[in-house]
Amino acid sequence: MAARGGRALLALCGALAACGWLLGAQAQEPGAPAAGMRRRRRLQQEDGISFEYHRYPELREALVSVWLQCTAISRIYTVGRSFEGRELLVIELSDNPGVHEPGEPEFKYIGNMHGNEAVGRELLIFLAQYLCNEYQKGNDTIVKLIHNTRIHIMPSLNPDGFEKAASQPGELKDWFVGRSNAQGIDLNRNFPDLDRIVYVNEKEGGPNNHLLKNLKKIVDQNTKLAPETKAVIHWIMDIPFVLSANLHGGDLVANYPYDETRSGSAHEYSSCPDDAIFQSLARAYSAFNPPMSDPNRPPCRKNDDDSSFIDGTTNGAAWYSVPGGMQDFNYLSSNCFEITVELSCEKFPPEETLKSYWEDNKNSLISYLEQIHRGVKGFVRDLQGNPIANATISVEGIDHDVTSAKDGDYWRLLVPGNYKLTASAPGYLAITKKVAVPYSPAVGVDFELESFSERKEVEKEELMEWWKMMSETLNF
Amino acid sequence: MREERKATAQGARRQAVSEAKRRRMGFLWTGTWILVLVLQSSPVQAFPKPGGSQDKPLHNSELSAERPLNEQIAEAEADKIKKTYPPENKPGESNYSFVDNLNLLKAITEKEKVEKERQSIRSSPDDNKLNVEDVDSTKNRRLIDDYDSTKSGLNHKFQDDPDGLHQLDGTPLTAEDIVQKIATRIYEENDRGVFDKIVSKLLNLGLITESQAHTLEDEVAEVLQKLISKEANTYEEEPNKPISVTESQTGKIPEKVTPMAAIQDGFTNGQNDETVSNTLTLTNGLERRTKIYNEDNFEELQYFPNFYALLKSIDSEKEAKEKETLITIMKTLIDFVKMMVKYGTISPEEGVSYLENLDETIALQTKNKLEKNVTDNKSKLFPAPSEKSHEETDSTKEEAAKMEKEYGALKDSTKADNPRGKTDEPKGKTEAYLEAIRKNIEWLKKHDKKGNKEDYDLSKMRDFINQQADAYVEKGILDKEEADAIKRIYSSL
Repeated sequence: MAARGGRALLALCGALAACGWLLGAQAQEPGAPAAGMRRRRRLQQEDGISFEYHRYPELREALVSVWLQCTAISRIYTVGRSFEGRELLVIELSDNPGVHEPGEPEFKYIGNMHGNEAVGRELLIFLAQYLCNEYQKGNDTIVKLIHNTRIHIMPSLNPDGFEKAASQPGELKDWFVGRSNAQGIDLNRNFPDLDRIVYVNEKEGGPNNHLLKNLKKIVDQNTKLAPETKAVIHWIMDIPFVLSANLHGGDLVANYPYDETRSGSAHEYSSCPDDAIFQSLARAYSAFNPPMSDPNRPPCRKNDDDSSFIDGTTNGAAWYSVPGGMQDFNYLSSNCFEITVELSCEKFPPEETLKSYWEDNKNSLISYLEQIHRGVKGFVRDLQGNPIANATISVEGIDHDVTSAKDGDYWRLLVPGNYKLTASAPGYLAITKKVAVPYSPAVGVDFELESFSERKEVEKEELMEWWKMMSETLNF
Repeated sequence: MREERKATAQGARRQAVSEAKRRRMGFLWTGTWILVLVLQSSPVQAFPKPGGSQDKPLHNSELSAERPLNEQIAEAEADKIKKTYPPENKPGESNYSFVDNLNLLKAITEKEKVEKERQSIRSSPDDNKLNVEDVDSTKNRRLIDDYDSTKSGLNHKFQDDPDGLHQLDGTPLTAEDIVQKIATRIYEENDRGVFDKIVSKLLNLGLITESQAHTLEDEVAEVLQKLISKEANTYEEEPNKPISVTESQTGKIPEKVTPMAAIQDGFTNGQNDETVSNTLTLTNGLERRTKIYNEDNFEELQYFPNFYALLKSIDSEKEAKEKETLITIMKTLIDFVKMMVKYGTISPEEGVSYLENLDETIALQTKNKLEKNVTDNKSKLFPAPSEKSHEETDSTKEEAAKMEKEYGALKDSTKADNPRGKTDEPKGKTEAYLEAIRKNIEWLKKHDKKGNKEDYDLSKMRDFINQQADAYVEKGILDKEEADAIKRIYSSL
């Protein structure tokens, strides 16, 4: 009944001009009219992916369409609102949307943090549709990814900036208009600068992870943080993300931490403790993007200094120093490893090029997603099997620890090699295990920690037994 | 005691280990406190000052991705009220916007005005003000919001408009109002392409000429322009719209109103959901769709007096083909409108008004073509193009040009070339949603082998969708109308 009615309906739509009018009469978006006459829609369509720029209403519609098509594996939510009140929409894809399944790692893509860097925004919309389509087609890789990962996609962190950029008349978009949020804040310089803290800690001792203390209070009370920044910080703190990428434009490279130079100079390779895995992660993206990984590619602009680029990747600080960026904030305030991907020499290229950007990037986007299933993962529990949250998992030789999430689950990305992993928690005795890590998949290592009190109990019992033995022997 | 303890080798080792660990931790504690002092004295530009304790941050205990939906919504609401909507704007009103709007909406829904709602679930202070004004005015004015949406609050929803297609006093809209509404729709939807499709169809059928089509377009453009320029004024005045109004039109009004009222009565009899089909007085006759129209048609088309008259006037032998075509068109359109109403995409009133408009247009243009006469029966909606005075034609073009310029200033121009509105595909959002839902149902059917009865799965699906749609509306992810449309589509499956 449904199918018949639906098909008849659609057939009529095609046949009659009238339907168009009536469809048009349907109640519509409040914001749309300001965009003027609707441009050619469905410029190039492929399986529901329309390769055209999506303004805020279209962005929302596109995500809703994906959700409607894949209700079983998707969910839309919002992490907050931009300064001008636009929702910061996220679409989540997983086999159990809305739920963190213990042991299932969480991934995020964030695009369009600079409003005029538009390719990332569009790619993420395309990606959401693509994942839904491929899942329904039974694409093994995608099905496995969606069943074993919780994928969060935020096409635009700066929708206000995008509107500004997109509203410029003419073909050429300015290099700066729309970059910052509606308050004029550059979001990628707006995050708390934890690099400086970690650099001090490196020299003088101190924690090497989770450097942002008294989080909620400080973040909410800080007037210098943009609402978009605040929203992302809360998001990072609420969900135990493991791997992430931050999509930009203006060049063509995969950039990894640290972004800020240690000495404060303009360029200086500043490696983080996880430099090895970050290089591998960045390469996992760039290798599948032909122009990005092309060693003979000329720089985007004649006088650009791309001497730090290797295989389409670069250390952030070696390229140029960026303080207060989101990438390093992820690494130093949470367990999440994030890289920054510059997708296009032109920040806001012509719409006709979007399809080719998709072709260049879709394999990279999937490949990078798969990187989350590497290294070591497992659970930290006590002897009764209860999960221990906030346990510390440290790796010998890498001065950066991760922590276990609410269900005691942890994920530690590592390049292949032999490692000693130590799990510890306040009140518990630490345990160290040796692990041999392949390229992939992730090796499962669980820890059962004994608490001090249990230890004390055991020792007390031993003591009592010894005392009993002694007294029997000596006839006390 | 001490010596005896040490004597137990195992115990001693363990003791030593734990003691060592405690010592290490103690040392670390001291070290970090020293660090704190050091750091507080040095001008670190970092933010915030490091506390330096071994405590894991609070956030790890707040991993709440799987908080129940209610909690999330509640928190979102609380945050919203706290942060973005300062209480200086009368808590009563913000309550109004959240709760009362919802209730009002539900109440109105039962009166089948749902599609026309532009509820502001999460309205801003501005919206609240406008809301009051809107209720006072007798017409539905939402263009201000549309027009200014570049400035702020793209999210602000349209105002509470319980009137839909009726005036406050319940009288049906006049044809003028219908024109206004249609132009409003075009403007709001910004989809000129739909209009162009209709025109091109009419052209293909030879019912109008190219120049007539252009003038037609100008007329509509002019109406739109007037709408934009007059949005600040109230709406009650002048019957003299840009569309020429002649005496003969006033004569037609009663004629139109009668069938319209009759149809509307039929339409408004029942609830506006899948039971709409019961309320359409036309549906009984139209349920059975046959290829042979000659016998049936007149009875169904009685509500379209112009068309009826036209048909009669066509010489059946000479223009048989044309007659057939016309009849086919009307029948198909009626069927389609019925289905759209059934699916809830449009309200019955809209369907009726659309059909009436079309009736007029077709009748008129065909008459012109066949008789090649200047007709006195100018349609209120689409004045006979060639008969218009030239001044009016010129002014229309002027208006159209003005309107283009205004649009030019506003329009999104990420493309270098001007928008080719004429060939826009009319595929709207609703169709995209329909397509997505269709794919979803298909996939679910393929993969959900458990339930033999499709109904069972679908009812679960329906509930899930309803719940999700509502949740999304509350969060601002979906418009109320979109949610209702989606819910309706699912409930009609």
